[in-house]
Amino acid sequence: MTVLRHPNNNGVTLSQWRKTAAGGETSLSGTDDFSAALAYTAGAEQVFVNGVLLERGVDYTASTGTTVTGLTALVAGDIVTVSSPSAFNVANAIPKSTVTTKGDLLAATGASTVTNLPVGADGTTLVANSASATGMAWAGPSVAAGKNYLINGAMDNWQRGASFSATGYGPDRWYCTVGGSAATFAQETSVIPAGSRYALKWTAGAASSYGQIRQFIEQAAVIPLRGQTMTASAMVQLGSSYSGTLQFEIYYSTTTDTITSFSGTAVSITTTTGTPTIGSYNKITATFTVPSNAVGLYIGIVPSVVQASGVSAYIGNVQLEQGSVATAFSRAGGTLQGELAACQRYYIRYGGNTSYDIVSFGAGNNTQLVTAQQSFPVQMRIPPIIAEYSNLIISDSVNATITVSTVASDTAVTSTKIFRGNFYTAATTVVPYRPYTINTVSSSGYLGLSAEL
Amino acid sequence: MENVSFIKVAGIDGVEVEHAIIDRGNGEFTSMTKATYDTLLSNSSIPQAGE
Repeated sequence: MTVLRHPNNNGVTLSQWRKTAAGGETSLSGTDDFSAALAYTAGAEQVFVNGVLLERGVDYTASTGTTVTGLTALVAGDIVTVSSPSAFNVANAIPKSTVTTKGDLLAATGASTVTNLPVGADGTTLVANSASATGMAWAGPSVAAGKNYLINGAMDNWQRGASFSATGYGPDRWYCTVGGSAATFAQETSVIPAGSRYALKWTAGAASSYGQIRQFIEQAAVIPLRGQTMTASAMVQLGSSYSGTLQFEIYYSTTTDTITSFSGTAVSITTTTGTPTIGSYNKITATFTVPSNAVGLYIGIVPSVVQASGVSAYIGNVQLEQGSVATAFSRAGGTLQGELAACQRYYIRYGGNTSYDIVSFGAGNNTQLVTAQQSFPVQMRIPPIIAEYSNLIISDSVNATITVSTVASDTAVTSTKIFRGNFYTAATTVVPYRPYTINTVSSSGYLGLSAEL
Repeated sequence: MENVSFIKVAGIDGVEVEHAIIDRGNGEFTSMTKATYDTLLSNSSIPQAGE
């Protein structure tokens, strides 16, 4: 009888030949009680008499593959069994050398044909692709709006300007802090991460100075993340003569998400990867768990030590995502327009484009005041509480324009969808009830409204 | 040099609210309610690292 213990054509089968002795036999061959012919792999066979395993070369000889000789004469009724595995079929085994490096995969190019599918680039996804020999290909990285909890991580939007030298908001959503006595923060267009248009560059403006950037995340986003493992990542490059390193600094607050009253506690970072390098961009990451009572949270990128005057650092493609793996960068808003809209939830600046950009519409209130209003392109986080302005004029499109001296919002209009402001002038030439536009008087004129944290 | 002045502004409801007008000295201005200004002034800045 032949028993297939492992019915795998490429593996091992175990055959069993069993026969009842007539008595006196000292050799075995031919068919057994089940009409199966004796066949074994010499050297791998096992011979049993009444279940007792015999010793090869002592109790019997088996070298031909079809006969067993040298047995002590069997007694009638003895049950003799010859068991043997088949030869391992190495011809169909897959050589280990098919794969050559970390992440390689085995893939079929057809029936019974296997090849190496080399590992894809970071962040790519394996997808079916009938045009490929293996039927699969690495695609992407894919962009997923909303994956990144940091807005303007690629430093795309600079509504407030392109260079800053004081502590405050710089590129949209990024709060820049001057460390030491002087530092500048500027839009960088040449030393940028691959796949980006801009980066942020800070430069120490004096000895023992440095720059820090932080993004505060509002509680509506923080609270759902309580207890979640998060990974922050950024592309960073150090300028020449940079000292120490550049690292993530993550703080949380149990009471507020706003900067003005943020009394924070450091979040324990469990894992960091990547090393900032002078002269080339590297990705740095930090993995942590959002505390269970967090209300506010900020992600900062800060130097480890103070810097000499003139030393710079470059930062781009900053991301915060769920999980413990830093994946390829995605904009929070998915697209440039989506990212701008996400920024304008916190800050919007009108004007700054042409000499006479119209920023608002209103009517004369008294001889020194025009009350004007305009809708926001996206609903703001809260009614804007800070107005920034420069070089604004009042115009009725006929007479000489009137310079705006002061802008004060109407706090009675607590809307996140529309702004109502009072535009004052030192002149006394405003005509009550006359319709007016509020214009910029030069390309540097603007009206900015802030609902930032 | 910043120069801060305060004005009272009547809203659409007729109620006057005091505002702070901050003259940045370079043609740029910032305005906010005096209450907001006082809050910003009284709170210390966020933690400083790097030293």
